[in-house]
Amino acid sequence: MRLLLLVPLLAAAVAACGGDAARTSAPAESASFEATLREARGQEVRWWLFGGDERVNEYVDERVAPAAQRLGVELRRVPVADTADAVQRVVAQRRAGKESGGAVDLIWINGENFAAGKRAGLWLDEWLAGLPNARYLDMEDPTITHDFQVPIDGQEAPWTRAVFVYAHGSARVPEPPRTFDALLEWARAHPGRFTYPAPPDFTGSAFVRQVVQAKGEDAGFAYLRRLKPLMYREGEVLPKSEAELNELFANGQVDFAMSYDASFVQSAVRRGQFPRSARPFRLERGALTNVSFVTIPADAAHRAGAQVVANLLLDPELQAAKADPQVLGHPTVLDLGRLPAAAQERFAGVASSPYLLEHFGELRPELPADDVPRLERRWEREILR
Amino acid sequence: MAPAMATVVLLFGGAIAGAVRTSLVPLGGGVSLDSWRALFADPAFLDAALFSLRVTVLATVVSAAAAVGVAGLLRSHGTLVRALAALPVPVPHLLVAVLAVLWLAPGGLADRALGALPLSLIRDDAGLGIVLVYAYKEVPFLVLLLLAAMGSGLREREEAAAVLGASARQRLAWVVWPTIRAPLVVGSIVVAAFVLGAFEVPLVVGPNYPPTLAAYAYEATQGDVLAGEGVAAAALLLTALAAIALAAAAVRLARTVEGD
Amino acid sequence: MIERHAGRAVALLFALPIAALVVRAVADQWRAPALVPQRLGLRGLDAALEAGAAFAGSLAVALVATGAAIAIGWPAARVLGERRLRRPGLVFLLLAMPLLVTPYATGAGLTEWFIRLGLAGTLPGLVLAHLVLVLPYVVVVLLSGFGARVSELEEMARTFGASPLRRLAWVTLPSVRATLAAAALLGFLVSWSQYGSSLAVGAGRPMLPLVLLPFVRTDPQVAAALALLFLAPALVALAVATRASRSPL
Repeated sequence: MRLLLLVPLLAAAVAACGGDAARTSAPAESASFEATLREARGQEVRWWLFGGDERVNEYVDERVAPAAQRLGVELRRVPVADTADAVQRVVAQRRAGKESGGAVDLIWINGENFAAGKRAGLWLDEWLAGLPNARYLDMEDPTITHDFQVPIDGQEAPWTRAVFVYAHGSARVPEPPRTFDALLEWARAHPGRFTYPAPPDFTGSAFVRQVVQAKGEDAGFAYLRRLKPLMYREGEVLPKSEAELNELFANGQVDFAMSYDASFVQSAVRRGQFPRSARPFRLERGALTNVSFVTIPADAAHRAGAQVVANLLLDPELQAAKADPQVLGHPTVLDLGRLPAAAQERFAGVASSPYLLEHFGELRPELPADDVPRLERRWEREILR
Repeated sequence: MAPAMATVVLLFGGAIAGAVRTSLVPLGGGVSLDSWRALFADPAFLDAALFSLRVTVLATVVSAAAAVGVAGLLRSHGTLVRALAALPVPVPHLLVAVLAVLWLAPGGLADRALGALPLSLIRDDAGLGIVLVYAYKEVPFLVLLLLAAMGSGLREREEAAAVLGASARQRLAWVVWPTIRAPLVVGSIVVAAFVLGAFEVPLVVGPNYPPTLAAYAYEATQGDVLAGEGVAAAALLLTALAAIALAAAAVRLARTVEGD
Repeated sequence: MIERHAGRAVALLFALPIAALVVRAVADQWRAPALVPQRLGLRGLDAALEAGAAFAGSLAVALVATGAAIAIGWPAARVLGERRLRRPGLVFLLLAMPLLVTPYATGAGLTEWFIRLGLAGTLPGLVLAHLVLVLPYVVVVLLSGFGARVSELEEMARTFGASPLRRLAWVTLPSVRATLAAAALLGFLVSWSQYGSSLAVGAGRPMLPLVLLPFVRTDPQVAAALALLFLAPALVALAVATRASRSPL
């Protein structure tokens, strides 16, 4: 009898100390991860990630790094302008014949970058299952087990979820179009007030993929051709990046903005870039989604430390903080149903905001990784020139 | 003489060798001409090359001409005025491009102040935005070089010539021009080579198409990280070769003009 | 008179756009059509203050690279400037070649060798990578300061019995002060703003341009604040060099 009582007590105790990964793991995993934890003590993990988002930087510096420090791991953020820069570093090390002691321990990555590296055998293999916090992931979810439809084979750990949302100014455009055809009609009525970033920009490329997903490839490109003359500056000049489109939207040159970051409207209003009347919206058919991951190069100098950090990133406390609109507002990758009750409440308590969408509709997974460069090139050939 | 030469030859030679190797040896090993073949098969490469050339010539000529005028205006002024004029020099090109967008883009500061701008200067097809940004940066740089050369006794020599009866035009041709010719030519070559090879500025204010050569190389690596490296290295090597050939030709031309 | 006004106007024309940078750095909100920011704030400056390690990193490399370039390049600049060579064109071209090639290319080309030699991510490695570009700049600018006039002055001093050290300190250095200042300034700036080779050879070592670039397109306020941090030592160097170039000679 008393043993039975002990179990719920233990479970409560375990749920209460959410920050310490080691103690909450099952015995078998715990043994090998204990060894990893010991090895990681005193290591400096160099995490290469995009450095242009202050909120992400703050999240890493002020929440993840201290948690890592409590485990004896020093986390150093290496800002890059593009994930490809980090991959190039690993490639350069491979070219130089380096097998270990690499300068890159962890990379925030997904899509073509991951696929290209996987093809070249750059990433450490099959380490995801060894992370205690991995049991909170829904391994039936294809967006978790596949990265742009490429199987991840345990070579990367999910970290955060991206959902493609659009923005409109509620003062100028109270009711935004909800389908692509409605958008075309709207552009006919208001020529020069819509544009999208030119691929191969990340966001612009995703927009093109959504059109292709909705209409099929050839019909999709026909649609884009019809749309072009109705766009801002007759579609001859497109913003080169999402940031540029944001500036155009903020300065009232166009009426819509878009981003793969579900919380971008919140963040832009907080930065003072968007007017307070900006609102996010999504299309009727649902939003494009992808999960981004962290991967460990095979030649990383501090792979134990990197795994500890990857595990920390999946910690329910840190994921809940990440979902908080005051911090990052990114949706979580954890399966809420698998979390202990106390952790679930943390997520339910997350505040809502007019700048964040409550529901994303049907989440549509990304196209295969290899399609991405092909579609970008086709866009350049048929629309750009 | 030797240490400088050795340093440059070793380091630069190493860099070129490295680039050649990257363009010929893909990650898996083994020599292959794939990168070079892909480069020449791409029509965008030729467009990028022609565009880069056009922008380079325009930017260099405009900068050199303006620099001579500005140097002439500023040489009688004091430290403060010279320092103000030289302010763009320490500003990295990328920041100057950002400033250009802040001021000259639709909805930018100039637009807000004047009501509207007659010309489209950001992301225009002719690359005028690029020329303007480089002129803003390189004119003060050239002026710095020219003023340094003019500083050492030019005024005295001009006065001496005037005393000997030389007219203003003659003073310009026989005293001023020989003094500033060398730094102007050298500086212009540096500017030309720099504009030919830089990519941050076109990335911010240049047209979507065509890209400049360096932007083309950079975009090649963004698209396909592994194969793109070889293509980028090949493109950069060709650009380097072109710049060196241009410089050699310019030096030869300058020498025949002055009848050295 | 017109010339004086024109000179001042031109100088202002070059300096004014940078003033906008200062305003942008402290503007939490600055949207069209306002000519003045809607809201001021310290968000940008907060972010800039966290870049201390990168600031120190870039400064160290720039100072060492400039010093090394002047030390190594001085003899070469003398030889070229005094036209002692029979084939100056060839040597000049060889020396100036790195200037003609985009630094991104030289950085990428050196990466593999540096990794093999264990130089990647080290201070000496970064100094060497920057030196490829800084040394030619320094030599090119410095050589215009040498010539017949300086040699004559040195010869005069020698006939008066001055020792080599004294000749250097009292004759040579003051004569080339203007070009030396310009060369040092340029060398420092080139190293200070290096992005391509710092990325390629740095292996994640904190350097200011690398921290700055990601913000340029996504967060203009933080970018402006970091830019001001970036400009500070450069402006100091500029002031010193401009003062030195107003030599009485």
